[in-house]
Amino acid sequence: MNNLLMLFKKTDHYLLGLIITIITLGLFTLASSDQSGTRLVLSQLINIIIGMIFMVWIVLTDPKKIFFYAPFLYLFSILLLLGVLFFGYESHGAQRWLNFGFFKFQPSETLKLTVPLILAWLYSNNDKNINIWQHLKAFILITIPFYLVFSQPDLGTALMISFCGLIIIFTAGLSAKFITISTIIFFAASPFLWLSLQPYQQKRVLTLFDPFGDALGSGYQTIQSMIALGSGGLIGKGWGNATQTYLDFLPEASTDFIFAVFSEEFGFLGVVGVLIIYLLIFYRCMFMVSKMQDTFSRLLSIGITMSIFFGLLVNLGMISGMLPIVGVPMPLFSYGGTSMVVSLISIGIIMTLYNNKTLIAN
Amino acid sequence: MQRSQLKYTFQKRLGFITGLITILIFIIGLRFFYLQIFQYDFYKLKASNNSIRTIPIEPSRGIIFDRNGKVIADNRLIYNLELERGRTHNLDEIIQKLAPIIKVSSSDKELYQEILEANPFTDSIPVKTDLALDEVAAFSAKRFLFDEIQLKIRQKRYYHFNDITAHLVGHINRINKTDIEELQKNDLYKRYYASRHIGKTGIEKSYERLIHGFPGYKQIEVNAKNNVIQLLKTVPATDGDNINLTIDIELQKLAHESFGDKRGALVAIDVNNGEILTYVSQPGFDPNLFIDGINSKNWAALNNSKTKPMLDRVIHGLYPPGSTLKPFVGLSALENNIRKPPFTIDDPGYFNIGNKRFNDWKKTGHGTVGIIEAIKVSCDTFFYGLGLDLGVTQMNKDLSQYFFGRKTGIDMMNEKAGLLADAKWKKNKLNQSWFKGETAITAIGQGFTQVTPLQLAYATALIANPNLNQKPHLLLYSEKKELFNNEQTPPKVSLDNLKLIQEGMLQVTQEGGTAAFLGKGISYSMAAKTGTAQVFSLQGQEYDEESLPEHLKDHALFIAYAPAENPRVAVAVIVEHGGHGGSTAGPIAKKFFDNYMKQISY
Repeated sequence: MNNLLMLFKKTDHYLLGLIITIITLGLFTLASSDQSGTRLVLSQLINIIIGMIFMVWIVLTDPKKIFFYAPFLYLFSILLLLGVLFFGYESHGAQRWLNFGFFKFQPSETLKLTVPLILAWLYSNNDKNINIWQHLKAFILITIPFYLVFSQPDLGTALMISFCGLIIIFTAGLSAKFITISTIIFFAASPFLWLSLQPYQQKRVLTLFDPFGDALGSGYQTIQSMIALGSGGLIGKGWGNATQTYLDFLPEASTDFIFAVFSEEFGFLGVVGVLIIYLLIFYRCMFMVSKMQDTFSRLLSIGITMSIFFGLLVNLGMISGMLPIVGVPMPLFSYGGTSMVVSLISIGIIMTLYNNKTLIAN
Repeated sequence: MQRSQLKYTFQKRLGFITGLITILIFIIGLRFFYLQIFQYDFYKLKASNNSIRTIPIEPSRGIIFDRNGKVIADNRLIYNLELERGRTHNLDEIIQKLAPIIKVSSSDKELYQEILEANPFTDSIPVKTDLALDEVAAFSAKRFLFDEIQLKIRQKRYYHFNDITAHLVGHINRINKTDIEELQKNDLYKRYYASRHIGKTGIEKSYERLIHGFPGYKQIEVNAKNNVIQLLKTVPATDGDNINLTIDIELQKLAHESFGDKRGALVAIDVNNGEILTYVSQPGFDPNLFIDGINSKNWAALNNSKTKPMLDRVIHGLYPPGSTLKPFVGLSALENNIRKPPFTIDDPGYFNIGNKRFNDWKKTGHGTVGIIEAIKVSCDTFFYGLGLDLGVTQMNKDLSQYFFGRKTGIDMMNEKAGLLADAKWKKNKLNQSWFKGETAITAIGQGFTQVTPLQLAYATALIANPNLNQKPHLLLYSEKKELFNNEQTPPKVSLDNLKLIQEGMLQVTQEGGTAAFLGKGISYSMAAKTGTAQVFSLQGQEYDEESLPEHLKDHALFIAYAPAENPRVAVAVIVEHGGHGGSTAGPIAKKFFDNYMKQISY
């Protein structure tokens, strides 16, 4: 009992409350989109419980251990990615899954943790004197997983992981001059990048500008999702009345497009409510980061907060037709085991770093 | 870089990131505002199917074959004239306009109204179904006159054997409100959005899950004038499974014919695996009448008929088993170590309980009778005493082992369990106490006991093959090779005791047995038991078959299996009001065996 009380004191109540709210909303939406009865809801509940156990375990872990294991975890996730390339299980034209028999696992999700880990580890090893060489090392550490995920091919996750890494480099103190120059170079190089995209990815980017131009093919998902959102209006159609979900109008209604179902059912007011909760989650994380004293805690927390944020951004951009369809789940909301567990572990890490903020600094 | 300087940069950049998060989420919010508020009307219109429409595709219902692949039920293509739902039609005017080329009857009109009200999902409703080919030609020629009417090709279920398989295969009918509620309750409604029909009785109902299939749909984009601009997506329907029944339709036909206009039932079970070869319930009806909703005249005729053609006598008909119960009661006695050879009685033709006299069917008595003889000549006196010694509780317990008083587990809906009565049942039901005499008459299959023809046939199969570990069943296999577990533990029995009963039943068809005339001149050996079930208590008067009105005559029962030394098939026959079992039900069973043997000797 005392242990439980201790544990409760150690978790951040604001953050915990906000996260549970989001997870609950996600479950309710899943229940209404679940064409198979309650199978998905039950399996998502199991995902949540597993994620929560991991979260609690992390909260009780000494951050020094996390620091110690950072390089190994990074290497391990790179190995898993290589495993996907050689033994992966193909779904919808992309190899993203490893099949362990009783569960399937998406290694690219783990990078959302291990890339921030390795970068924070790298910078904190020599935080008295952060120079351009460290930034270069960091850049290489981002490029390797980027390339591996990119060749799965999963452009969305690859870009998200690298954005997340770039944000860490940015907060670690990369000079403003350098940032400006590299941005210019990036735009200059973008035509070559375009040519290196798979035809289906190019098509997805193109449809973004005119989804109705290819209503039968790649514009289909975007159109259906936008119809679902738009027809929700101000107050929505009510829980369980998402007519676009019925009859399979909306593809992937329980995973990537679950928020389209929510928007259709609860309208703009519901959307605003959810956005505010997410915003509060990020503010709370940022507040916690600002109280942290050491480089490792700060950079790691920023990195994983940003990976949750980018997940949200890309997912919502995708379902509202602002970004191409790249297959990124909505963190803490979409159906899916790996994503849920990784998100909850992320939250656990921020909590334990915050709890031990003075300990590490000393 | 100094540590303090680094911290400054860090806090500043943290602020920058927080600002970035806020702005990006705000932009997302704006985008949702634009879509959900600003463009609400546009998307609402889209969502309400004005631009993308879904057209359901009905799955084709699985074909039902017999065990040899002969078609029992399949689908015919028919032409319908249909009106689109959602537009208002002046039905009378349309009918009048059609009159010179196609006559629309008042029952067609009734059907239209009924579907309009009861089937909210159907997108077009037939004004006239199953057009003759010359009507199709006539309509096509003048099509330009009727732009609101569509000529559609539909599938219609067709039962090839009419009344011969009416109860067995059952029939489909239009989905009604009760069906919808039932489907919603079981979360199956989504499988039916393209369907108009559902299995209502028989195999069509019990294997609905397999036969029905899964609907598909087409998505088309249409403009404001309802013209199709393009086909967006087609998800084809998954047709229902074709299934093979264990029934041999040739045997079924012959068995049906052998009833003539008699009423009753015949069930034949393969004793080695529980497969039902023949499933006859007489009289039948034409299931094809039901497919699009039976009209009220036909319904009244079927429903009010005194012969009860709609009753599936095989599993829903309850009859007193009469003397056909004796082999099972005898076996129970042997298993409880009473009446074992060399035990015999000396039968004077009656049995006294207190001051009440119970007569044997043969007034002069059967002389010295043991268990084998008692079955052979159907000696009532032997069983009166046996019943009293055994007691009704033990008797029921053992009979229940042979699935009397409980369901056999056949793959049909709502099988009746029948009845094994005892003191407790009588107290509850009639609030009367149980008399000793009732135990005695229960032992000869009279009294309250009720059985279905299926129970009799299955119990007989279990006598013929004590290792039969399969439920009686009608599905041989389905196209998708789904596995169905039909296993069922057979009753535990001593083989020595069983042999005595088998011997008794074999002697029934031998010289001196109650069905000796059936055993004459057949190439195979038959073990059997005759039975006569009283419908009407004569209260002391003489039973005279000739003078009694038809509906008071006894039911004739007959159970048998053959060949006796190496059993293959067990049969139960009931002829309602057929008089003595051996003389009316027996020949029907014999004819079945003759046909069966002829077939397997090929």
